[in-house]
Amino acid sequence: MNIQVPSDVSVSGLSIHSAEGAIVSDVTLALGRGQPLTLLGESGSGKSLVAQAIMGNLPPELRATGRVLFKEADLLKETPGQRRRRWGRSISLLPQEPWLALDPTMRVAPQVAEVHRYVKGRAAAESAMAAKKNLSEVALSTAEGLYPFQISGGMGQRAAIAMAHATDAELLIADEPTKGLDAALRDSVTARLRQEVERGRLLLTITHDVAVARALGGTIGVMRDGRLVEYGPSERLLTAPEHPYTKTLLAAEPSQWERHPGMTSDKPVVAGCGLEKRYGDKVLFSGLDITVAAGEIVSIAGASGCGKTTVGNILLGLTNPDAGSVERKAGLSSSRFQKLYQDPPAAFAPSQTIRRGLRDLTRLHGKEWTDVERLLDRLRLPGALLDRLPGQISGGELQRFALLRALLLDPAFLFADEMTSRLDPVSQKEVITFLLEIVSERRVAVLMVTHDRDLADRVSTRVVELGHAFTC
Amino acid sequence: MSTFDNISFKRPKTGIGSARLAGAGLLILLGGFSIVGPVVIPSDPAAQDFGASLAPIGGDYLLGADHYGRSLVARLAHGARLSFAMAFLTMLAAALPGVLLGLLAAWKGGWTERLLEFVATVVLALPGLMLVLLLLAFAPGNYGPLFLGLALTLWVEFYRVTKTTTRTVLAQPHIEAARMLGFGSRYIFVHYVLPVIGPMIATLSAFAMATAIIAVSTLSAISVGLQPPTPELGSMIVELLPYYAEAPMHVLLPATLIFLLVLGLQLLAQGDRA
Amino acid sequence: MKKFFFARLLQAAVVAIVVGALCFVLMRVLPGDAAMRIAAGRYGPDARIAEAAEKVRLELGLDRPIAVQFIDWLGSLARFDLGHSLVTGRAVAHELQVQLGASVWLAAAALLLSLLIGPIVGLFGGLKPGGVADRVGLMGAVTFRAIPPFVMGLILMLVFSRQLGWLPPAGFGSPREILLPALTLALGLAAMSSRVTRNAVAAVARAPYFAFARYKGLSEPVVVRRHGLRNAAIPVVSYLGLQAIYLIEGVVVVESLFAYPGIGHALVHAIVERDIPMVQGTALMMGLMFVAIGAAVDLVTLWLDPRMRRTA
Repeated sequence: MNIQVPSDVSVSGLSIHSAEGAIVSDVTLALGRGQPLTLLGESGSGKSLVAQAIMGNLPPELRATGRVLFKEADLLKETPGQRRRRWGRSISLLPQEPWLALDPTMRVAPQVAEVHRYVKGRAAAESAMAAKKNLSEVALSTAEGLYPFQISGGMGQRAAIAMAHATDAELLIADEPTKGLDAALRDSVTARLRQEVERGRLLLTITHDVAVARALGGTIGVMRDGRLVEYGPSERLLTAPEHPYTKTLLAAEPSQWERHPGMTSDKPVVAGCGLEKRYGDKVLFSGLDITVAAGEIVSIAGASGCGKTTVGNILLGLTNPDAGSVERKAGLSSSRFQKLYQDPPAAFAPSQTIRRGLRDLTRLHGKEWTDVERLLDRLRLPGALLDRLPGQISGGELQRFALLRALLLDPAFLFADEMTSRLDPVSQKEVITFLLEIVSERRVAVLMVTHDRDLADRVSTRVVELGHAFTC
Repeated sequence: MSTFDNISFKRPKTGIGSARLAGAGLLILLGGFSIVGPVVIPSDPAAQDFGASLAPIGGDYLLGADHYGRSLVARLAHGARLSFAMAFLTMLAAALPGVLLGLLAAWKGGWTERLLEFVATVVLALPGLMLVLLLLAFAPGNYGPLFLGLALTLWVEFYRVTKTTTRTVLAQPHIEAARMLGFGSRYIFVHYVLPVIGPMIATLSAFAMATAIIAVSTLSAISVGLQPPTPELGSMIVELLPYYAEAPMHVLLPATLIFLLVLGLQLLAQGDRA
Repeated sequence: MKKFFFARLLQAAVVAIVVGALCFVLMRVLPGDAAMRIAAGRYGPDARIAEAAEKVRLELGLDRPIAVQFIDWLGSLARFDLGHSLVTGRAVAHELQVQLGASVWLAAAALLLSLLIGPIVGLFGGLKPGGVADRVGLMGAVTFRAIPPFVMGLILMLVFSRQLGWLPPAGFGSPREILLPALTLALGLAAMSSRVTRNAVAAVARAPYFAFARYKGLSEPVVVRRHGLRNAAIPVVSYLGLQAIYLIEGVVVVESLFAYPGIGHALVHAIVERDIPMVQGTALMMGLMFVAIGAAVDLVTLWLDPRMRRTA
């Protein structure tokens, strides 16, 4: 063995071209045993394409140039047939959202066993035994006989890992392995990936989540607009980033934010007393007291599905509580209670331009168009966006339009329901910064629902923890 | 690996536009024939001239004459008009209650919806044509039961589609947002619901008309629908069939006309997303 | 499972009630004496019909409230007492026995033929969306869908029996005679199912689980066999439920056209002759055949798709 450990996979000068031109240019990186590589970037940064070039499943209309060396073989020189023969043998893929990647009409165990049966060519009984072992390695023995629709997202991810174990391939490519999972599940998935590295597997991970990159260690490559803007050991890159984009990306992580100073509280704008809500015979929460005063941000934290959004909807009067009462400060019209939604495009009518929607709103409430223009400046929204449809505007900008729409009505209370969970970290920070400024300028009362504990801790005056009665 | 999916690569051209256009063009031509035809063609579709029995195409008679010597071009024009008119009226009679009840069920829910669902289930328990046949047993060969039966089976589709689509739209967050912003039901209906259900109703209407045209001609052809001497396309085919050996084109003309009418409506309805 | 079973049972009951109610009304609104018609329906038309009519009038109490009479009527329907034909005088149930077999053969042959044509055309289209096979399949589907079954039947009759003289234009008894009517229906059914298959195949080929099966290292035949067929078959089979409407309506039309001695033919005849017990019997049979096809589709879907069993 050489003293200098050679990298097992090395990519040099990789570019990917579409008919219109290069969409990934000149990417050079490497990974080796015990040195996992994580590609970090937003959607559209080209990180998935790099992984596809290594895997060999680029869409046919794209062409890769450069060199991808895996154990002295240049993968890009191989024929599609040769590349496909590597799948499940020397390269294995951990798909994103594995509950979609499992065959919905086949039980979990045979989906693992077929790797042994048809890739390794073992006998049926032997394959079934091997599959049982693979599933028990990831603590999924109970799910052997279940169909994909009967298992949770976390279990689906573990089933995919069991399949990777079954292939026993040297290189494991994990594509957004934590997409759609909440924080606790995310940590358990990254821990499993760490184990794979410790067992000597080569790991390439694609993610948009800095926390995943941090947990995995090894080497990190930051991608943006098809280029690798920064590349280095994770300890160095995460503590002393050099490229401005890396700095912005790291600073956008809520855990790195400054704590927002608490405000002196006024009289409550809205108060819920002894609230209870149940679904069937399941009690979501009961005896919940919650008040939100002008100028403060109150956050509700808790596992997904535990009724966080329901609390907000009850305070807004959209849902009736099964017990308890809601009191609003006297003399406020109902249009001064507004909601900001999780999925910005869903909160706007898809066939109506932003301008049309805002114009109708100003007319309805007897406002002037200059009010809109003032808010556009305030939220730094370019006027050119007004004539677009909601689907043609980025999530961050659209969420700012949602804020603008609410601010037109001079809101006393805003319910922000996971309003940044679909945004990339940089846009999330922008939107939250605007929200914080608005709260202190206009003394709005805000109830915020978020699954991100760091975010809740950094921005809110108080955090209300919602029931541990059950996990979802 | 679909993170990159939102950036569109080369997409196969669908050509929905061109198929729709072809359908519309076909219907304009046929519509013109059925509206202008009966007015400008001087001959009476019922006037018999035994001397001209099975007259060939292109002679004294533009498209020939049938076994009774009746002008085929006049009969075809009147037949097309009858098909269009029946189809259009049936469609209206099905679409109006269907859409209105669909909106009602989506808006109100509860018992209103349950009752309507029950009625729809009862109607759908039998294939549509069976219901029409049973009603026709009351008065074979009459317009009334034919029209009633068709409308009775066709409204369900309008009702179901309107109800589910409206319900889906109303459940979207942007409707909740609009209500909280102070917009009323009228505004929400006109600006948010109508633009979504409008095109769907248009598509369904074209389909309903195609179904009605097929049903009317089929029932005449199996001699329980409209009876001769009504210039109905289906019964024209059957009437001329015994003379196929002498005048094959005469049989194929009304058949082609039905085919083109239905094709035009189906193309208009959904382009080539067959 | 139970849920589907009860839904179909309910549908069968609704079919019986709708058919029964319409025929009940029909019996009473037609000009002439209802008792006479019922007597003829029961005992067949013979010399002592007037006598029998008197007996019926007394026995049924046609002066009783209409609701009571109606329940009576449905009662005999439930006992499968369908009465006698007003025309031939034979028991309706007896006539139906012969005709039902003929219609079931026709429907089965049509369905089988359509499954040989539609899904195969659709498969080639779906494997390469936008390719030549897809375009040709689309053109064919659009064309065939615009041809009403009776026109299709006439064209086939003219081509295969008049021009080519290969097949008999009408009749019943041999496979040669069932071929033309079955093909007529099959072409219409296949026009629709080919597109459904094409979309199902294309959707499966795009599905993440199909790609992932390849990434697991499975060879193409294994991927298609283990993850393609079942998933693509599910929408095709559920669509058969909708096609049952076309099939039943088509059977009525095509039987009349080809003078094929099945239930559809009998139904049309009965309507023309206003033979109400026969109308009721044949309509009921057609309706129940429709329910039976729906039930069969339910069963196959349940077997194919484990997700359906969740609600059952």
